Amino acid sequence: MQTYVQFAILGLGLGAIYIGLGTGLLLVHRATGIINFAQGAMAMWGAYVFAQLRLDGTLTFPIGSIDLGRRPTVLVSALIGLLMAVLLGLVAHYLVFRPVRHAPVLAQVVVSVALMITIQALVVLRFGPNNIKVDSILPEGTWSLLGVEVSSREILMALIMAALSGVVWAYMRFTRAGVATRAASENERAAVLMGFSPDRLAAVAQVIASVLGTIAVTLGSALTGLNPENYTLLVVPALAVLLVARMESIGIVVVAAIVLGAFQSIIGLLVTKPWWPVWAQSGFDQIVPFAVVMVILFVLGRRLPSRGSLQTIRLPDVAIPKLKLVPTLILLAGGVAALALTTGSYRFGITTSIIVMLLALSYVVLTGYLGQISLAQGAFAGAAGFTLSKVTTGWGIPFPLSIILCGLVAAALGMLVALPAFRIRGAQLAIVTIAAALAIERFVFNNYSLTPPEGNPIAAATLFGINLSVREGRDLSRLSFSLMVLVVAAILVFLFIRLASGDTGRTFLAVRANERAAASSGINVRMTKLIGFGISAFIAGIAGCLIGLSRGQLSAESFTVFTGLQILAVAYLGGITSVGGAVVAGILGPLGIIYVLLRGVFDLGAYYPLISGLGLIITAILNPVGIAGATREQVAWVRRKLSRTPPAEPRSDATTATPTPKEPSRV
Amino acid sequence: MSDAPASTRAGLETRSLTVRYGGLVANSDVSITVRPGEVVGLIGPNGAGKTTFVDAVTGFTQCEGEILLNGTPIQELPPHERRASGLSRTWQSGELFGNLSVAENLLVAARKGGWRTLARDLFGRRKADAGRDLVENALAVVGLEGVTDTLARDLTLGQQKLVGVARALAGGSEVLLLDEPAAGLDSMESQAFASRVRAIAQGGENGAGDGDGPGILLIDHDMSLVLSVCDVVNVLEFGKHIFSGTPAEARTDPTVVAAYLGAPVEATHV
Repeated sequence: MQTYVQFAILGLGLGAIYIGLGTGLLLVHRATGIINFAQGAMAMWGAYVFAQLRLDGTLTFPIGSIDLGRRPTVLVSALIGLLMAVLLGLVAHYLVFRPVRHAPVLAQVVVSVALMITIQALVVLRFGPNNIKVDSILPEGTWSLLGVEVSSREILMALIMAALSGVVWAYMRFTRAGVATRAASENERAAVLMGFSPDRLAAVAQVIASVLGTIAVTLGSALTGLNPENYTLLVVPALAVLLVARMESIGIVVVAAIVLGAFQSIIGLLVTKPWWPVWAQSGFDQIVPFAVVMVILFVLGRRLPSRGSLQTIRLPDVAIPKLKLVPTLILLAGGVAALALTTGSYRFGITTSIIVMLLALSYVVLTGYLGQISLAQGAFAGAAGFTLSKVTTGWGIPFPLSIILCGLVAAALGMLVALPAFRIRGAQLAIVTIAAALAIERFVFNNYSLTPPEGNPIAAATLFGINLSVREGRDLSRLSFSLMVLVVAAILVFLFIRLASGDTGRTFLAVRANERAAASSGINVRMTKLIGFGISAFIAGIAGCLIGLSRGQLSAESFTVFTGLQILAVAYLGGITSVGGAVVAGILGPLGIIYVLLRGVFDLGAYYPLISGLGLIITAILNPVGIAGATREQVAWVRRKLSRTPPAEPRSDATTATPTPKEPSRV
Repeated sequence: MSDAPASTRAGLETRSLTVRYGGLVANSDVSITVRPGEVVGLIGPNGAGKTTFVDAVTGFTQCEGEILLNGTPIQELPPHERRASGLSRTWQSGELFGNLSVAENLLVAARKGGWRTLARDLFGRRKADAGRDLVENALAVVGLEGVTDTLARDLTLGQQKLVGVARALAGGSEVLLLDEPAAGLDSMESQAFASRVRAIAQGGENGAGDGDGPGILLIDHDMSLVLSVCDVVNVLEFGKHIFSGTPAEARTDPTVVAAYLGAPVEATHV
């Protein structure tokens, strides 16, 4: 019992971080209606600045740094860290979130995910990818609590964060600005009537959230050290806490955060017990936030307040694809030529681009056509890849059958994730899927009893006696493998075009446009979502298999949550509603041909994640149709000019205008 | 025209349909019958619960009571299955799929997705102009031409309303619920629309007016439209079903007059 109390108290450190991030998420959501997936990443920056100052007296900026000569005191370092947090909050508001404040939910989710990728990439570039030690501001010590010696530092942290949350609560409750912020979350005009600019209030909220998170992470990282990936993803349990509080109550945020932190810590103790099953030892604590999210969203469902409920997801128009023989052949011949004429890392880059194109295509199906958000596509790909390792080395199932089977495994997983999509949409669906992706990554991919750390070898493919392995002898990128990837991709694209131009594609678009009207037209909306998630995950799964085959073996690092998010970034960047967009995404995608060129020719490979993150922010704000869509519009414009026909009337974005009811005529 | 065909096509019947939103009773004991080929009106002041009734019947709002379609209870079915069994509706605000063309809007209703459709899309043979006839016919019934490939959101409001009706008819309809289809139309359009409604109910255009068309429940503010076109008129007030009878009776019924004209309460309070 004594140990349990001690572990519960140790969990308060984590709980303190959840309080900081959760309160910040709540405040920003109330002020802007946006769920900021970058909350954890933003909180990390100031903590890193603090840690670096204490480490060697270097004041690090996103670009450049100043060597202060000697290390500033803890207080000065902490104040500088918080100043950075204030600036970051302002930048986040004015440059990132303000431009999309009236944009569709999807754009808001994408923007905040892009900010998250960007800051994370920037931290890796500026501070390095490894764990760094952080000075503790609070003294270490023990207290005696009910006769048990417990660590005092964690308790102090939780108390400090709870007190700061109390200040935020008082701000919301008792100041006119706070009340106006609450009013703005219902109706922006209400804040205006109270004499406040909703925009200014939102900026204040972003700054407070950023500072609060930074304090929490600065205090908390003294326990664990700072690590760019873990702290960015602490936003996931914080989102679970936010949902428990129904996005409304700061008091519940504090309580839920403490309970979740303590519970996760106790689970960390339980999994070491001899009776705990070995296969469930690693990553089990990450199941908890996911379970919380699922329960809350299933039990509370639509009763969660949501400002986005009135707007449907507005997405760029879809040009229904037609299969044209000549362009298809030219494209295929171009692909074959590009692969045949290159060797080594360039050929491998092109091959990877083709695979990334498929991953982007999985987003085209799900988001472009069906209007659903998923941050778990990387997990679907990974699930198929790891299954492929078992299927080929364990059971000896031959190629094409093996990857089709693994694709179906991914599809089944995708349909499982579709279940929450029956009841929720938009940002909440994004929360569920990122929580699912994290749970799968930590519990399955990182679980050594399921996926051995020495690697998961994947047997090379052969078909009709042709060796399709990726490398042989000194050839690290064989042409026959690359051509196999091209053929598989071509088949999937062909099937996608058939589907998209058929009744299924039309049904998807109808659900995307208006779920109510779709249901009243006889469409089974749930079944449609199930099919869409299944197809999308199947395509992602096949891509995951191809990644596995291209590497010969897989590890958890092959499919992190960030891989999935980067794919979302390039898919959106390329244009999420068309095959052309997926092709562009493939060319731009991680480890694809542009990446290889950046690394090989310009030696800029390390900047790739940063560039893709920034590119995504800019695309989401300025050019929601993506590169492919913009090109199509320009081509259409040029054609119109050339043919000298009068330009088409500009299309209004609204689906249908609301009619003004006529005066009832008298009897 | 008020004689119902003696067949299994009994049309739509609600028995004591009641809808509660928390403490508010939005529909209380509403029992309405719509037989095939018949045009039934549902009128009432703003907030009387007309749209709530349509939402409840088509499965978009929880309700108590019974809903029968051709004698079969359907109140447990989800909306899309009610549609599949022949109950279709339009929406007050149009609710077309704005980013799809008119033809695609109709095809959505006529050709459902599903696993089998998926298999056919992926591997089956496909005709180039599948469903074209269906689209042309459905548009002819509502009297729209030359807009087949226009995006739904680029149509005028009147056209959108008509496409909404065509979409509700596409894929077959036993009973059609029209929620304020004439709101926003000018009086010319409104009159033309009235004759369309009659023709549809009589199975007109393609059915030669032999009375095998769907039953139609028409909700509208435009009293002259409702009274000129309907066989039976029902009146709702504050969720209560206060009148059911012919248009002629409705014109003179003191309850209806009071509900609609806001006459002094003491004269007609029920």
